[in-house]
Amino acid sequence: MMTETRKALADFLRVPASLGGVLAVWALTTSSGAVNTEIFPTPAAVWAAAVELYRDGLLTTDALVSVRRAAIGFVVGSSLGVLVGLFTARIRSVGYTLHPFLNLLRPIPAIALVPLAIVWFGIGELSKYVVISYTVFLSVWLNTDHGTSGVAQTYIRASRSLGAGTAREFFEVVVPAAAPHIVAGLRMGCALAFLSLVAAELTGASAGIGYRIQEARNFIRTDRMFVGLIELGILGALLDFCFLQISRRLVHWEQA
Amino acid sequence: MNSPLDDGTPAPQVGNVLIDSAAVQYRDRSGKTALALTPTNLRFKPGAFTALIGPSGCGKSTLLNAIAGFVPLSEGVILVDGKHVTGPSPDVGVVFQQYALFPWFTAIGNVEFALKRFGMPKEQRRSQAMAGLTEVGLADRARSFPGQLSGGMRQRVALARTLAARPKVLLMDEPFGALDAQTRIIMHELLLRIWESRRTTVLFITHDVDEALVLSDRIYVMSAAPGRIIDAIDVTSPRPRSVERVDDAYLAGRNRILRLLRRPDAASAPPLPDRNGSIAPLSARRR
Repeated sequence: MMTETRKALADFLRVPASLGGVLAVWALTTSSGAVNTEIFPTPAAVWAAAVELYRDGLLTTDALVSVRRAAIGFVVGSSLGVLVGLFTARIRSVGYTLHPFLNLLRPIPAIALVPLAIVWFGIGELSKYVVISYTVFLSVWLNTDHGTSGVAQTYIRASRSLGAGTAREFFEVVVPAAAPHIVAGLRMGCALAFLSLVAAELTGASAGIGYRIQEARNFIRTDRMFVGLIELGILGALLDFCFLQISRRLVHWEQA
Repeated sequence: MNSPLDDGTPAPQVGNVLIDSAAVQYRDRSGKTALALTPTNLRFKPGAFTALIGPSGCGKSTLLNAIAGFVPLSEGVILVDGKHVTGPSPDVGVVFQQYALFPWFTAIGNVEFALKRFGMPKEQRRSQAMAGLTEVGLADRARSFPGQLSGGMRQRVALARTLAARPKVLLMDEPFGALDAQTRIIMHELLLRIWESRRTTVLFITHDVDEALVLSDRIYVMSAAPGRIIDAIDVTSPRPRSVERVDDAYLAGRNRILRLLRRPDAASAPPLPDRNGSIAPLSARRR
């Protein structure tokens, strides 16, 4: 009981301790005079830039625009990833045909896709969705395919000898058996949606966190760049935390 | 052969297993084929409790998997109540060594999975599943997930799940191998109680000589390379049996099996049971 409480307290203090430490080192380095604060701004300058962006309404707008893009890209990419993954894993001919092609796509980073996305889909929102979906899709497909083709034979045998038909075998056995892998793929896809966001916003944008970082470069506003980077970090970490909470409930038997 | 048993209870009409020259081939890594099971003739009468014992690699699981329809035969046929076994079927229930419970369903959910094939209303399914769990003494853990249950409890759920599908034949592949001695004895009693009330044909695979002797009417001893049956032993000791109260017949059986397991070629005469390898009903032998 006592150790439980102590452990919870330690867990709770871990985050502020870690962040506080980094912040302290950052503040000490930048205020020591050893570095050019034009290039490496102090925490105070970054905070001021954040406040300034917030007053202009850009901080919130950018976050909303970016989260929206990441969310749409994630939903499209992960739906396709789960669907294609289930097909490539369960239908031999589909897997046989698609695996080489999909493996060829895997090493292509999102950023390399940007020029093509602009030519094909223009500089509107569509090209951003395409770039993000592509990245999310690959990760989710890979994990779904892996998890679904690796379903233990005993489960399949048990299901069949208990008289379950193909549909029941698929939905009540194969999908839940693969669920831990699928959820892991979704979690990675969620992180990748954020990672590819900056690449996606290179396709000509007028708002968004990635765009704001790009824009700051033109004025060498490193303080604003830091705001964008930290914003990406916080949003990504928050999202991952939420995802982890949901997935723990979704595939609760994995921890048992 | 479907005449009523002498003790007045109606004879089970179902659960007749006929194995006729059944052989199973497998392909090893170099691509060569080898026999996992040499052509085998066996017959399990309705309601019989048969054990298969042998060293690992002797093909006892292969034979069980063939009866369950999990692996195809390279020659011969297996008939369950006259029907060819061509794949898994709910007529042949299997209790697996590693439980094979679905961890995403609760205990009652696992049993309900087996009941869904009957297409009954949900409440009826629920109450039948509950009755099944009660039969194995786990009614109070119906809402637990397999991960929250002990090994013995999991195997109880697995047994309830398999029985819920109302199989005519029950195949058990070293189901209690992972349990401690005490839990195993309790499971033996539970299994025998259920078998005596349902009279399902049971094929029980084990590598434990005492387990085979306590449970079965007849024991087949198998040997490896190639997998084949080398002896058949009728267990005539009266039931209920237990390892701490054994009679001479039990000891003789144990010695014979242990000798065979040690030196498989020592099988006296080739006692391969004929196609009608018949097993007298238990009740008839009790006299």
